[in-house]
Amino acid sequence: MKTNYKKIRVALAGNANVGKSIIFNYLTGLHQHIGNWPGKTVEKAVGSVYFKGFEIEIIDLPGIYSLSTYSIEEIISREFLLTEEPDIIINVVDGSILERNLLFTLQLMELELPMIMLINQIDIANEKGIRINFTKLESKLEIPVIPTIATRGIGFTKLLEKIVEIALKKDGVVHKKISYGQELEFQLERLQDAIKNSRILSSYPKRWVAFKILEEDELVLDLIQREKEKPSRKFNKDKENLNKETEIIPLSKSIIETLEEFHGHSCGELITSEKFGKINQICRDVQQIEAIQKISLRDLLDKVFLHPVLGYLLLIGIVLCLLYGVFFFGDLTSNYLLNCCENLRPDFNQIFGKGKLSEILWSSFEGFMGGITIALPYILPFYFILGVLEDSGYITRVAYLMDRFMHIIGLHGKAFIPCMLGIGCNVPGCLGCRIMERQRDRTLAIFVITLIPCTAQSIIIFALIGNYLGFHWVIILFVFILFLIMILGNLTSKILPGEPMGLIMEMVTLRKPNLKVVLLQTWFRLKEFLVIALPLIIVGSILLKILELTELLGILNKLLLPVTVGLLNLPEEIGTALIVGITRKELAVVLLGSLFGTSDLATVLNPIQMIVFALVTTFYFPCLATIAALKRELKWRKTLLILASELSLALVLGAIVSRILFVIW
Amino acid sequence: MSFHSIKKEKSTVNRSIKTVLDLNIGQSGNIVEIKGGRGVNQRLSDLGLTIGTEITILNKSPFTGPVILRVRGSSLVLGRGIAGKIYIRY
Repeated sequence: MKTNYKKIRVALAGNANVGKSIIFNYLTGLHQHIGNWPGKTVEKAVGSVYFKGFEIEIIDLPGIYSLSTYSIEEIISREFLLTEEPDIIINVVDGSILERNLLFTLQLMELELPMIMLINQIDIANEKGIRINFTKLESKLEIPVIPTIATRGIGFTKLLEKIVEIALKKDGVVHKKISYGQELEFQLERLQDAIKNSRILSSYPKRWVAFKILEEDELVLDLIQREKEKPSRKFNKDKENLNKETEIIPLSKSIIETLEEFHGHSCGELITSEKFGKINQICRDVQQIEAIQKISLRDLLDKVFLHPVLGYLLLIGIVLCLLYGVFFFGDLTSNYLLNCCENLRPDFNQIFGKGKLSEILWSSFEGFMGGITIALPYILPFYFILGVLEDSGYITRVAYLMDRFMHIIGLHGKAFIPCMLGIGCNVPGCLGCRIMERQRDRTLAIFVITLIPCTAQSIIIFALIGNYLGFHWVIILFVFILFLIMILGNLTSKILPGEPMGLIMEMVTLRKPNLKVVLLQTWFRLKEFLVIALPLIIVGSILLKILELTELLGILNKLLLPVTVGLLNLPEEIGTALIVGITRKELAVVLLGSLFGTSDLATVLNPIQMIVFALVTTFYFPCLATIAALKRELKWRKTLLILASELSLALVLGAIVSRILFVIW
Repeated sequence: MSFHSIKKEKSTVNRSIKTVLDLNIGQSGNIVEIKGGRGVNQRLSDLGLTIGTEITILNKSPFTGPVILRVRGSSLVLGRGIAGKIYIRY
C-alpha cells in the first residue's frame, strides 16, 4: 500500500529525561513497534511517520549521557549509529540544561552523520530564566537547531520539513570539526594520520577512533586487536601495512603517557574536560540566564518532597493510599467481574454440553477471566498511578529518599522503582530491573522482587488472614515478610560477586504529568502482563483441569503428604491448593472452599495453619508467569537457582513458624 | 567503602581540601580530584563533574543517605560512597 514512499531512517538520540519518548510517541502515534535489541534486554522502539511522500522511520535510542561503554544502553546506541548509519540523527536536548546536554551533542557530531538538534522543554527553560539564541547556536555548531515544546506538540512540523530537506540534499553534509586545546589537537592529529595510513577501522570516522583510542575505550581497542590479527594470516605480502598497524598501539600509548603526565589526569577525563571547556564558551555566547527571584511552585514542592521528615511522611502516605485504594476498588470490580463470569456458566453449558472437553474449554475461559480479574481491577489502576508519579518526576525523589534503605539489601535507590512495580505484578517488576546499570544489581533486584508479595499474593493474605484473624495480623505478616526480604537481600548481596554500586542519578525537574505518556506507559506495562502472564495462566488452567480429570492431581497430592502434613502440619487437602497456586497464586485460596467443601475456612484450618499457608504460598514458588519473566531476564541457570532457594526457604520457614506458633499460641 | 575509611583517606590529603560530604547545604566549591576509579570517574565526567567544575550542594538526606548537587545547570543525586570520593576546594 505504501510501497512507493521513499524511506528515511532517523535515529532519536539524547540524554535521559529530555522528553524523547514524548517526541517519539507524538510523531509515530500507534505506528510503533516495541521490541528488544537483538540479544540484549534493552528496549528498542521503532515507529514511522508519513510526510510529503516519505516514510520516515524513527528509531528511539535509549536515553544516555555519553557514547562511552559505561552501560549496555551506551554500547547498543553507538553500535547502532556506527554500523547501521541512519540517514539523520535527531539529537534531543533539554533546553533548561543546555550545558550538560551539549557534551553528548559533541560526541554525536564526531560520528560525522547528518544531524538535527531539537531543543526541547524551552518552556521550562524560560521559567528558569534561560534564553537561548537558536540561530547563534546553529551557526556555532553548523547543525540545524529547532526549538520544541514536545508536551504541546510545538515544533514538530518544522522538524519533519527539515528531515525531508536534508534527505533531498544531494551533496553530503559538511561536518563541523570542533577543535580543542593545542596540545590535544596536535596529538589527535598524529594519531589520526597513523590511523589513516594503517587503514585500520576504515569504515569508522578517523577522528572518532582517535578519541576512543585516547580514552582507552575497551571495545575499540578490542576491535583493533582483532583486525590486526586478521590480515597477518591472510595477506602476508601486505607486510608494510601490517607494520603500520602495529605502530598505532605503541604510538597511542606514548601519547596517552605524555598527555597524562602533562595534565595529571586520565586521558578520558582530560578529553571530557576539554569538551566541557568548549561547551562553556559556546553557552556563554548563546545563552542568557537571568536569576529568578521568586520561589516557584516547583521549588516549593521539592522542599516538601525532599524534606527529611515531611518527605518520608508523604512517601509513606502515598504508598499506603496507593495500596489501599488499589485493593479497595480492585476488590469491588474484581468481584463484579467474577460474578459476570459465573453467570455465563449456564449459557456455556447449554452450548457446549457437559463433557470432559467442555470442562477443559471452560477452564481455559476461567483462566482467561482469572487473569483479567487481576489485570483490570488491580494492575491497571496501580500502574496508572505509578505512571503519574513517574512522569511527574516524583519517582526520582523516591529513589533519593529510599537510597539509604535499599543499601541494606545491597542495592541503590533506583532499585526501589522496580520493587514498587513488583507489588502490582512481579512480571513487570522483573522487567523493570533493566534500569539497574549492572548485571549483578539486576540479578539481585530480580531476586528481591520475586519475594515481594504481588497483588495476587496479597489477595491471599487479605482473604485468609484478614477475614479470619483480623487486620492486625495482616500488618504483622507484611512487616514480617518485609524483614525477611531485607535479611535475605542482605545475605544474597554478600554472596553475589562484585561490589555494591553507588547511586548516580539525575534529579529530573518536576513537571505536570502528560496524560498521553502515562497512558502509553501503563499500556506497555499491562501488555507485558497480558503477553507473558496471561497465556501461561490459560495454559496452566487447562493443564490443571486435565490433571484433575485424570485424577493425577489426587496422586500428586498424596505424594506431597510428607511435606504438607508431615513438615508443615497442614491438612492433607492443602497439597492440591499449593499445586494449583503455581499457575495463579490467588487460586490457591479460592480453591480452599471447594476442596474442604465449606465456605467457612475457620472450621477446617486453625489460625496457625492459616498463617503457615499464607507464608508458604507467598514464598514457595513465583507463579508460572514470573518464572517465564525470570527466564527471559536471567536465563535458566540463575532462574533454577532462584526457584530452588525459594522453595527450600518456604518449606523451612513454614516448618519453623508452625512449630514456634504451636508452642506460644 | 565505609564512611570511616573515607575520612581516614581524606586526612592524608591536603587539609584545605575536603570532600563533597563536608559541604553544607547551599555551599559551593570547585572539584580538585575524583577518586572513583576508571568507570565511575568517566561516568561522573560525562554528567559534567570534571576537574575545576563548580558544584553547589542542594540537599543532603538524613541517615547517611545521598546528596543532591547542582552542576552545569543540572541536579545530580550521588550516593554517599561516591560523593565522598569527590574532593573539593572552597
